Amino acid sequence: MFFRKIALAGAFALMGSTAMAACAFQNEVPVKSLSAGFEAWKAVTDAMAECGNFSAELDQEFKTKQPEAFAARPSLYQIGGVANETIVPLVNAGTIRPLDDLVAKYGQNLQPGQLIKIDGQTMAIAMMVNTQHLMYRKDILDELGIAVPTTYDELLAAAEQIKASGKVEYPLGGTYKAGWNLAQDFVNMFMGSGQPLVNDDGTANVNNETGVTTLEMMKALSAYMDPEFLGADSTVVQQQFQQGRIAMANFWASRGSAMDDPAESQVVGKVAGAPTPSIVDGGAPATTLWWDGIVIARNISDEEADAAFRVAMEGLDSEMVAANNDDAVWLIQGYQPGAMAQAAIATASTNPPPVSYPSTTAQGLMHGAIGSQAAAFFTGDKSAEDTLAAIEAEYATAAAEAGIVN
Amino acid sequence: MRTRTFAWFVAPSVAMMLVFIAFPLVSVLVQSFTLTQPVIESVTVETCTPSFVGQNCIQETRRQPVLDENGAIVTQTRFVGLDNYATLVEPGRALASLGSLNLDGLLAIDFWRALRFTLYFTLITLPLILVVGLGLALAVNNVTRAVRGPVIFVTLLPFIITPVIGALAIRWLFVGDGILTRLLEHWSGRDIFMFAQAWTIELLMMFYRVWHVAPFAFVIFYAGLQGVNKDAVEAALIDGASRLQRLRYIVIPHLMPLIVFVALIHLMDAYRVFEEVIGFRSEAYVISLQYLTYDLLMPDNTGNRAINRASASSMLTMIGIVILLIPLLRHTWRQHRETR
Amino acid sequence: MAATIRALRQPLWLRLTSASALSLWLLVAAFPIFWITMMSVKVPLDAFADGPLEVIFGPRTLAAGKGLTILDLLGYGLFLLAAGRAAMRWLPRAVPSLSLFGVRVLGWLIGLMAVVLGVWIGGVFVLPALLGALNGALGLDPLIGFTAEHYRSVWIGRDFWQNFLNSMQVTLGVTVISLTCGTLAGYALARSGSNIAFWLLILALIFRALPHSVLVTGYLPVFINSAEILRPILGDNAPTLYGQPLAVIAVLVAINQPFTIWMLRSFFLNIPADLDEAARVDGCTHFQAFRWVIMPVMWPGIITTGLFSFLLGYNDFLVTSLLLDQSNMTMVPAIASFFNRETTTTDQVQAVAAAVSITAPLFLLVMVFQRQIVSGLTQGAVKG
Repeated sequence: MFFRKIALAGAFALMGSTAMAACAFQNEVPVKSLSAGFEAWKAVTDAMAECGNFSAELDQEFKTKQPEAFAARPSLYQIGGVANETIVPLVNAGTIRPLDDLVAKYGQNLQPGQLIKIDGQTMAIAMMVNTQHLMYRKDILDELGIAVPTTYDELLAAAEQIKASGKVEYPLGGTYKAGWNLAQDFVNMFMGSGQPLVNDDGTANVNNETGVTTLEMMKALSAYMDPEFLGADSTVVQQQFQQGRIAMANFWASRGSAMDDPAESQVVGKVAGAPTPSIVDGGAPATTLWWDGIVIARNISDEEADAAFRVAMEGLDSEMVAANNDDAVWLIQGYQPGAMAQAAIATASTNPPPVSYPSTTAQGLMHGAIGSQAAAFFTGDKSAEDTLAAIEAEYATAAAEAGIVN
Repeated sequence: MRTRTFAWFVAPSVAMMLVFIAFPLVSVLVQSFTLTQPVIESVTVETCTPSFVGQNCIQETRRQPVLDENGAIVTQTRFVGLDNYATLVEPGRALASLGSLNLDGLLAIDFWRALRFTLYFTLITLPLILVVGLGLALAVNNVTRAVRGPVIFVTLLPFIITPVIGALAIRWLFVGDGILTRLLEHWSGRDIFMFAQAWTIELLMMFYRVWHVAPFAFVIFYAGLQGVNKDAVEAALIDGASRLQRLRYIVIPHLMPLIVFVALIHLMDAYRVFEEVIGFRSEAYVISLQYLTYDLLMPDNTGNRAINRASASSMLTMIGIVILLIPLLRHTWRQHRETR
Repeated sequence: MAATIRALRQPLWLRLTSASALSLWLLVAAFPIFWITMMSVKVPLDAFADGPLEVIFGPRTLAAGKGLTILDLLGYGLFLLAAGRAAMRWLPRAVPSLSLFGVRVLGWLIGLMAVVLGVWIGGVFVLPALLGALNGALGLDPLIGFTAEHYRSVWIGRDFWQNFLNSMQVTLGVTVISLTCGTLAGYALARSGSNIAFWLLILALIFRALPHSVLVTGYLPVFINSAEILRPILGDNAPTLYGQPLAVIAVLVAINQPFTIWMLRSFFLNIPADLDEAARVDGCTHFQAFRWVIMPVMWPGIITTGLFSFLLGYNDFLVTSLLLDQSNMTMVPAIASFFNRETTTTDQVQAVAAAVSITAPLFLLVMVFQRQIVSGLTQGAVKG
């Protein structure tokens, strides 16, 4: 510890007050965190580690482990990394603590938009948002004189035009991998039409006209995709973009900066972003807003919670953002949005705005039911009506088992 | 050996299996007949989520579990008989489809879809593995001694490679414009997408499994071949038996216990086919019983899991394996009776 | 005798068919592994390029100034051949002289270490320096693209060496405990003709049929809460089993027991019962007979069965990914963390490099023990 301090002091002496992201205090209480393992979390937890006595678990299986680990007494981790969906089991089981007093004490630098409130209490601190917005090959669209599509019908027309021109064989990309990804695209488009997927009484609201339109629009889009689209997750679509195989996709904002990475991409500087198209002209963009952030466990001492929150604040500060500006669309003070992030922000700020992904148990069950049943429509095994009926039935079974409908 | 000595010798092994397998097995069995639910209340709350222009606040109805005074979720567990099994198998719908000879209707139910593939997969790969393994053993036995070591080494590679990685490697060769897909396109002169329809994916999955397991069969059979009775071969030669006859009447019977052993292990492993579904991303087209169990069991992002249905599904998987094993087990039983 | 040999000799067409079928198989068996090795030494643009030739020759990797000259190819090729020869020929012969205190296991371990160290020092330090100097002197231009950057970022940047050590710990634990329990049980099962023994074997088989995912998700809550559950019994020292390598070893041993005892039982069936009965007549207990008569002759069977245990422990994904925490994670689940929500193309090539890295120790193991495996099996480790 002594040597560490000396070393830090030395570093400061050398570098003066430049952007050396060091911790403002010396943490003495052991703090552990459990979160997903992508780049943004690496950046944040590395910044937290500078406070000392901190260890981070960046785990692919975090969503399986988190509910159990936070329910243990004492909780195995003090800090948790969550998103819209993954906070639900923690809120339901009451294993995370309200943060209002800690925010008052240490959260001077937080933006009001970062506070995730449930029933008036701050339950999580968001650090970044993510959304799917339109990415397109500017060079191709310009050359063919196509205006950037603002509705899905225009997108289809543009795809047809690009295909006919022979510029690329498959103009569209889509994260249509059966399971979570496919369901997410369904949810985007369905909720873009302004309807909820689950009624207030907990019953399903998919087996209707909107459902059929959604499925049919998705199938129409899939006709312009590489035929192996049911196995395409965001990694595959990103690669398709980078290799110049596709021209347009409604794609995760966090993936934007990789298009311009010269080590991977053959289309550096050619991919641009725009707000997500809407279903009808002038409607809300057919996408949902996501956030990632941190929570603090309930089953720990107040002293630990205090230390954990301070460490977390150091991880979410402007210095971290300055050092990792392009790793995410940060909500944190000091963030300079790049070109691609601006499209995401434009998507989020349209009027009417896109909806936030509903973080409820019922929505999770619905997402799962769509993920497991919707693929049958794209493989041609079932009609749209049969597929929606199967989704509804699967949801009804799961919801009854979970006790949320009778 | 006296029972007591016997007990001492097997105790560590049996204790391990009791604690880590038998005990969970019993709990799975119990869970498959019960349903555990949290007590749910409906509350309307205001939730606020981030946006770039201030906050996004909405009123929403949340259905959430009731917590007791210790902060734990209140749950109820009740006995439901065969309900979990029925939800899975949907006997009414299945019988109706069968009655009207509507196979597509039957396969629209996930369980039957998974069972269909699992059975095909198991029963088609089994003979392939035995034949390829035996063929390899005979061929390697033919090779001069000098190169036998390296040949055995290369032959064993697909078996030792980590299954997840093996499946990924094969996928990379075929996905999109992978090198082998290009080769196929070159030969056939058409655009080929190996992962865009069910039958090609099934073919690849079976190919992968044979590639992965045939070396295991090979090494067992090869070892067995080293013990073939030379006198019997010579006697057969004197009787003028052809090469094929010698294989049929001397070598195969000699290898029979090994064939049974390999078949036993393979049936069990193939019936639990799972890595291929994940590795080849076949969920849209083909699923297996073990995948179905896994899918029900793993919590989704909001923490829901159908643990009771998953228990029923895994019990059905086990029953399936036991049924497939019965002929082989009878063979073992007869052997046991003879040796006594 | 000569007549028999002549009669056993196969006609030319049969030998040709058999040889060409075998060659085809060798190609099919080795190609995927060859291919991922090729991908792992190229920059991402080349590794996922459209044309197969680009993947092999790596024009963009070359353009970045990373490549091998003809001399490099020759040098490394010869080095690999020599290493293979050392592992397959020299090591098994050197074992007796390396066996300190007459313990063969030590001999094998020392020999293996020597080979690994030799390959590591030679391949990573000596050879590159030597060839680099020679290439510079001869002014040779690189011929095919080659870069070790992904291996460097995997092993050093992503701390894969830590995962490697964890893997070794778990795998060795599984192998040793699995064999210890399995040998005792296998011996007893082979020597007892009782019905209990038979039904125990059948029960073990049924246990083997249980899907692992069910077992593992059943353990997770218990392991995480074990400190709380065990507190009444063990007091404040009650451990949290989640994340503990020992707990994972126990689970893997249990999962592997059925296969181990089946294999070892049939191996012991092949050791004549007269052997230990004679010892029993001389006044030995069952355990003494086992220790002094059976143990000296059981090594071939143990090595073979041990290899299967090793493979299971080393290759396991489901158990290790759910029950270990990050600091104790083994290599296979660690690779899964390369595939996350934001996986880039570079991450994928790194995953390929990690995959090749995982396979390399298995290569060495089979190279060294290949003879022992076959002879162990031949001596009856499997008799159905």
